[in-house]
Amino acid sequence: MDDMSGLTYNVPIGPQHPALKEPISLRMTLEGEIIRDVDVRLGYNHRGIEKLAEQRNWVQNIYLTERICGICSHSHTTCFVQGVEKLMELEPTKRGLYIRTLVAELERIHSHLLWLGVAGHEAGFDTFFMYTWRDREVVMDILETISGNRVHYAMNIFGGARRDIDDQQKARMLDDLQLLKKRTEYYFKIGATEPTFVARLAGVGKLPKQTALSLCAVGPTLRASNIPRDVRKDDPYAAYDELPFEVCTADSCDVLGRVVVRVKELFESYKMCEYMLKNLPPGPINVKYPRRVKEGEVVSRYEAPRGENIHYIKSNGTDKPERLKVRAPTLGNYPATLVMLKGAFIADIPLIFAAIDPCICCAERLVELVDSRTGTERTVTFSELRQKAIQHYKSLDLKKRDSAWPL
Amino acid sequence: MNDEKIISRIKEQFQDKTAEVTNPAPRRIFVKVDRPDLLAVTRFLRDTFNFVHVSTISGVDKGEVFEILYHLANESCSLTVRITTPRNEPKVPSICEVIPGAVLYERELQDMFGLVIENIPDPRPLLLPDDWPKGQYPLRKDWIFERPEEKIPGGG
Repeated sequence: MDDMSGLTYNVPIGPQHPALKEPISLRMTLEGEIIRDVDVRLGYNHRGIEKLAEQRNWVQNIYLTERICGICSHSHTTCFVQGVEKLMELEPTKRGLYIRTLVAELERIHSHLLWLGVAGHEAGFDTFFMYTWRDREVVMDILETISGNRVHYAMNIFGGARRDIDDQQKARMLDDLQLLKKRTEYYFKIGATEPTFVARLAGVGKLPKQTALSLCAVGPTLRASNIPRDVRKDDPYAAYDELPFEVCTADSCDVLGRVVVRVKELFESYKMCEYMLKNLPPGPINVKYPRRVKEGEVVSRYEAPRGENIHYIKSNGTDKPERLKVRAPTLGNYPATLVMLKGAFIADIPLIFAAIDPCICCAERLVELVDSRTGTERTVTFSELRQKAIQHYKSLDLKKRDSAWPL
Repeated sequence: MNDEKIISRIKEQFQDKTAEVTNPAPRRIFVKVDRPDLLAVTRFLRDTFNFVHVSTISGVDKGEVFEILYHLANESCSLTVRITTPRNEPKVPSICEVIPGAVLYERELQDMFGLVIENIPDPRPLLLPDDWPKGQYPLRKDWIFERPEEKIPGGG
């Protein structure tokens, strides 16, 4: 058996793989079941958003940036909007900023709860997954009541927020936050003490402090390596300079640390949401904004649920941006993930990869479809898709309930 | 505040080399340097002010030249180092030996702008498909996306 030790195997994980929720290609070089080398190939979800943004006007771009991601949609619009406000020399209203920040924190809560569920699922603890995703519905309902949407909240506009919050909604949110807090305390207990869960997560996906720094990791991944970096604290935007919160860190530098950081951040978010709801300043929610933007450039930073989100916006004095550069947090975490994977077991791949909370559609911004049944790749035009959809729905023979007009 | 301290120190260290240092907003600094000085400046910033984190690298097509912006960050501020490179000779030194985390952003620049990053540890394409035609760089201003004609069923 000795001559087998030098043998290595190359195993491709992705772009389409059951362990990954989105398309990314990882090439693993394995020796037995230990990963010796990893390579990453991106671009399977690249949609050319940066190029598209140069052809859309400022307002259209708010809705374009929102569609970069389905989970941290509010992060991208806020980052874009606050950058453009600086270029417009526009001061957003206080109430607008508070509502913006409130939605940001609610988004963080839903994202972290979603991630906790995924972590539980990848660790083989599906009850945890069921519990957290049930409770995530509570915060999703809150978001739906204030914005009317579950995914793209569309709450941002230059100069403030688009929708107001009334007293009834406020009272309901405060009640729901109490419930979430109680539930999260239970999750914290499980995450920190449940022996099987801790044994599965502790020591997996080690990322030493110095490596995390030099590879420019961001967000909870960085903070779990005991580096207290948080844009909300370091470079406060929106209403964060007035809110009571602390930067949460862990010193174990592993997946368990990343769970702990995120659960602690949930408590901080609940605290912030309560403070904001109780101290919501009166006044208008937004102000009128100009159509054109003065020539200039701005760097806008935002702490998304997954880490630092940065937009570089350059204006040439017209109604369209000259350049919009977006760097979503997941892209910043890839170099560090490759280091975490090296030397780990093949069974730890989903766990380590999920621990950065990867959002591939965020990290990439051309569309190519792969037929899941045959595996052949082909580009499908919009009109073909539309035709297919029309045929599909016609074949279903749907009728709207009690409607004189058939669907 | 902190910003002024950093600005005065940069000016002192690179008096003849930095063309301009601006501070348009609190916690935002823009520094313009010559292409050959890029490594020296980033190394100095890393060692003196702990700018160990590169948030991203943006490229801008300005016609005759490309502008490349390195967005660095430390605990208190975001500093952007700006260099330019002529369009007919788009060469840029790699900063990976100073900040290893910059490699993906440099690969993205190669794909999107056709820049040549010298001494980059990993020069392979990152984002564009394997069958992407050579010499096509999507984020250059003269690259225009032509949408294939679409027929909407039922439309006129």
